[in-house]
Amino acid sequence: MDAAARRRPAPFGISLTSAAVALVFAAPLLYLVSRVAVGDVRLRTVVADPVTRDALWNTIVLATLVAVSAAVVGTALAWVVARSDVPFRRFFAVLVPLPLVFPSFVGALALRASISPGGLLESVLGPFGVERLPQVDGLLGSWLVLTLFTYPYVQLPVAARLRSLSPSVEESARILGRRPLAVFFQVVLPQTRTAIAAGTLLVFLYAVSDFGAVDLLGYPALTRVIYANRLLRRDLALALGLVLAIVALAVTVAERRVGRNAATLPSVRTKWSRTVPLGRWRWPVFGLVVFFLLNALVAPVASLVHWTRRGMASGSLDVADADLWTPVLNTAGIGMVTALVAVVVVLPVAFLGARYRSPVAGPALTLVVAGFALPGIVIALSMVFLSLNTPFLSGLYQTFPLLVIAYVVHFGAQSVRAAGVAIGAVPSRLDDAARMLGADRLRRLVRIDLPLMAPGLAAGAGLVLLSTMKELPATLLLAPTGFETLATRIWGATEANSLAEAGLTAIVLLLVSGVLTWLLVVRRADVLD
Amino acid sequence: MPRSARRFSTSVPTLVTSVLVLLALIAPACSTGGDDRLTVYSGRTKGLIGPLLDEFNEETGIKIDVRYGDSADLALQIDAEGDKTDVDIFISQSPGAVGFLDAEGRLAELSQSELDQVAADFRAGDGQWVGLSGRVRVLVYNTDLVDPADLPDSVLDLTAPEFKGRVAVAPNNGSFQDFVTAMRIEVGEDVAEDWLSGMAANGARPYANNTAIVEAVGRGEVPMGLVNHYYLAKAKAEDPDIPAANHYFAEGDMGSLLIVTAAAIVKGSDKSEEAGRLIDFLLSKAAQEFFAQQTYEYPLVQGVEPDGSLPALASLPTTTIDLDELGAGLARTAELIQDSGLDRN
Repeated sequence: MDAAARRRPAPFGISLTSAAVALVFAAPLLYLVSRVAVGDVRLRTVVADPVTRDALWNTIVLATLVAVSAAVVGTALAWVVARSDVPFRRFFAVLVPLPLVFPSFVGALALRASISPGGLLESVLGPFGVERLPQVDGLLGSWLVLTLFTYPYVQLPVAARLRSLSPSVEESARILGRRPLAVFFQVVLPQTRTAIAAGTLLVFLYAVSDFGAVDLLGYPALTRVIYANRLLRRDLALALGLVLAIVALAVTVAERRVGRNAATLPSVRTKWSRTVPLGRWRWPVFGLVVFFLLNALVAPVASLVHWTRRGMASGSLDVADADLWTPVLNTAGIGMVTALVAVVVVLPVAFLGARYRSPVAGPALTLVVAGFALPGIVIALSMVFLSLNTPFLSGLYQTFPLLVIAYVVHFGAQSVRAAGVAIGAVPSRLDDAARMLGADRLRRLVRIDLPLMAPGLAAGAGLVLLSTMKELPATLLLAPTGFETLATRIWGATEANSLAEAGLTAIVLLLVSGVLTWLLVVRRADVLD
Repeated sequence: MPRSARRFSTSVPTLVTSVLVLLALIAPACSTGGDDRLTVYSGRTKGLIGPLLDEFNEETGIKIDVRYGDSADLALQIDAEGDKTDVDIFISQSPGAVGFLDAEGRLAELSQSELDQVAADFRAGDGQWVGLSGRVRVLVYNTDLVDPADLPDSVLDLTAPEFKGRVAVAPNNGSFQDFVTAMRIEVGEDVAEDWLSGMAANGARPYANNTAIVEAVGRGEVPMGLVNHYYLAKAKAEDPDIPAANHYFAEGDMGSLLIVTAAAIVKGSDKSEEAGRLIDFLLSKAAQEFFAQQTYEYPLVQGVEPDGSLPALASLPTTTIDLDELGAGLARTAELIQDSGLDRN
C-alpha cells in the first residue's frame, strides 16, 4: 500500500505539541530575523558583498564534498559492522562511531599534528623513504578532517536501519541468483536510502556550521567571518548567521523531497539477522576498516597520547593531580539528560511527519532540522540575548534547563531524523491490528511503536549524546557559572598551550564516550545478542 | 515481540534512574550566589588563574564562582547582561576586550591605590582597569630551518621576498589584533594597512591561534610565526627538545609590543569591597610571582622579576602607547584585517 494514501489527518494534540516544539526550535532563527530586521545591516548588501559571497561559496563547496564522501564511507562502514562477517566485528561496532566525539578544535589540531609535515606519521614512514608529507590544510585538509569526524552521522542511522531490515528479501534475492554486490545495490541500498539521506543531511549541516576545524585548517569558510565579527560588528555576524540558516532551510527542504516516496520495507525485530560471508574478501575488508580507523581514530589519538606522555615525562603534567572526576560526571550527566530530552521532545514532530497528513508537519520538521546548521556560537548568543530580554525567561539564564534547551535546539535534528526513519519502518499492519483489538494510542506507542523503533531511537540518542559531550560555545556561555565539562577543560588547556592536559582530557573524553556508546547505543541497537 | 518490548521497558527506567543519579551528583558542583561570593568572568583559562583564585578563597574565605571563556565572548556577554549582571570582576586576556567594556560604560572605577601598583603604561587612563601581567609579541622560529642571523630587526620587514610563504599569523586572535591596533596608532594607518596587505600578498599563512602556530613551527610545518612569547616557554616545559626559539625584534620596533592582561570591576557589582580585595590579591607579590614562575609571563608590579630564562622587562623594547586607544580602535582594526585578505590566504 502506498504510504501517502494511507495517511490519516493528524490528531489535534500531536499537531499542537509539534507546533509548540517547533516554536522553541525556531527561537534562535526568530531572534536572528528580528535583529536583522531592526539592525543596520541589510541582508541584500551582505549577500552582495564579494567577501561574503566567496566565503559562502567556500562553505557550500566544502559541505557538499564532505556530505558526499561521508555518505559513501558511512554507508560502507555501517554495512560492514552490521552485516558482514568481518573479523572483530563487534569491536569495530564500538570503535567506528567514536571519531564523532572529537571536538573539532582539538581533533583537527591532533590529526594535523599526526599527518602533517614533521608529524608522527612522517617519522613512521621515514624508514620507507617518505621524506615530506603534503600539507593538511585548506579545502583538501578540511574535507579530509571533516569527513573523518562526521561519517558516523551516516553510519549510526544506516547501521540501525540495516539491523532492523528483514533478511527475507535479501535471502530471496540471493536464492534467485543475485550476486552479493547486486543484492547490496538492488535491495539493501534502496531500503537504507532514507537513513543515508538523513545522515548525509546532518553531515552537510555540520560542515556548514563547523568553525573549529576550518579555523584550525585555515579554510576561509563563512563561519570564520561570523566569528571574526561577533564582538565588534554583531549585526553583520548575525546577518551572516541568517544567511547560513537560509542555506540550511533550503537544503533541508530539498532533502525531504528526496526522502519522500522511498520504498520502505517494514522493520522487524528478529533474533537472526542476515550476515553476509565475505569469503576471500574477509581480510581485505578488515584491512580497509583498520586503515580507515588508523586515520580517523588512531592518528588523532596518537598525537593526544604523544602530548600526554611528553608532559608526564617532563613533569609538567601530573595525572594524579588532574582532577577529572567532576568534569567526567558533568559531561556524562548533561549528555545523557540532553539525549533523553532530545529523543522525547522530537517524537511528536517525527510521528506527525511520518504518519499523518498535517500542514504543521513540513515546517515543524524543517525548523527542527535547521537548528543544526547554525554555528554553536550563534545559537548560544541568541539564547543569551533571548533569555535576558524575555521577562519570564530571564530566570532561566545560565541554568541547566536553558542549557539543555540550547543543546536540544542545536542537536535535536539528529534525533528527529533518526526517529523519522524508525517510524517510517514500523509496519502499519501491527498498529492497525492493535487498534482493532481496542488498544489506545498510548498503549500502541509503548507496546508496538517504541520497541520497534528502539534501534533507530538509540542511534539518534547516541548522536545527540556524542554531540553534547563535545559541545563548547553554548556550554561556555550558558552553563551555570562554575560548571566544567571535559570539552571546556580541553579548550582551556589548548588556549593555555597545555597540550599535555588537552591530550589527557581528550583521551578521557574518548573513553567515556566509548563506554556510553557501547552501553546505550551499540548494545541497545544490536538485536543479535 | 514480547521479548523486545520487555527489553525496552526495562531499559527506560534504568536510563532515567541513572540520569537522575548523575544529576544529583553534578548539581552541587554549581551553587547559586550567596553572601560571601564573588562572580568572576575570566578570559584567562583555568590553568592561568585558577590556582590564584583558590588561594584567595583559602586566605579570605570569600568563595569565587568563575566562568572561563574567550575574552571577547565574555565581554559581549557582560555587555548583554547589562544592569542585570551578577558579575563582579572581569579578567581579560587582551586589552581589546576589556577596552570594549570600558567604551560601553560597563566598568566601575578602580581605587587609586590599586592603579598605582603598576606603571601608567599598563593601566587604563580613565582608571577603569588595571594590568595584571604582560606578554611580548615575538617571532617564534624553527631552529633547524632558520638561521637567526637572517631574521629581521623590524616586523615591518616580514613583507620582504625572503619571507614569502614562511610566516604564520593568527589574524583573528586578540593579541594579533591588539598588535595591529598599536601599529596603526604608532606608525600610522597607511603603514598598517600596507603591512597587512603586504603580508597577505607575501603568502603569510593564517592559523587559528598561537597554540597552533607554536605547534606547527615546532614540527617544521611552517618556519616561523608571530605569537606571544610565553607559548614557547609552555611548549618547552612539556617538551624541552622542541627545535624552536623566540626572536625579539629590535628596540622600539612595533613587533615587540607588550600586551597586558587586565582585571576590572564590573559596574553595578554590589560586592565592590570584596572585588577590590581580589584585585589587590592579584596585584600582590604572591600572585605576581605566580605569573612570573607558573605562566612565564612578565609581572607588572615593581619588585617581582620574570622567569630567569626570559630577558628582563626593562631590557625589552616595549612600545608605550595609550592602551585605551587599543580598545577603542579594535573595530577599525578588525575591518582592516578582513579587507587585507590575510585571513583568506
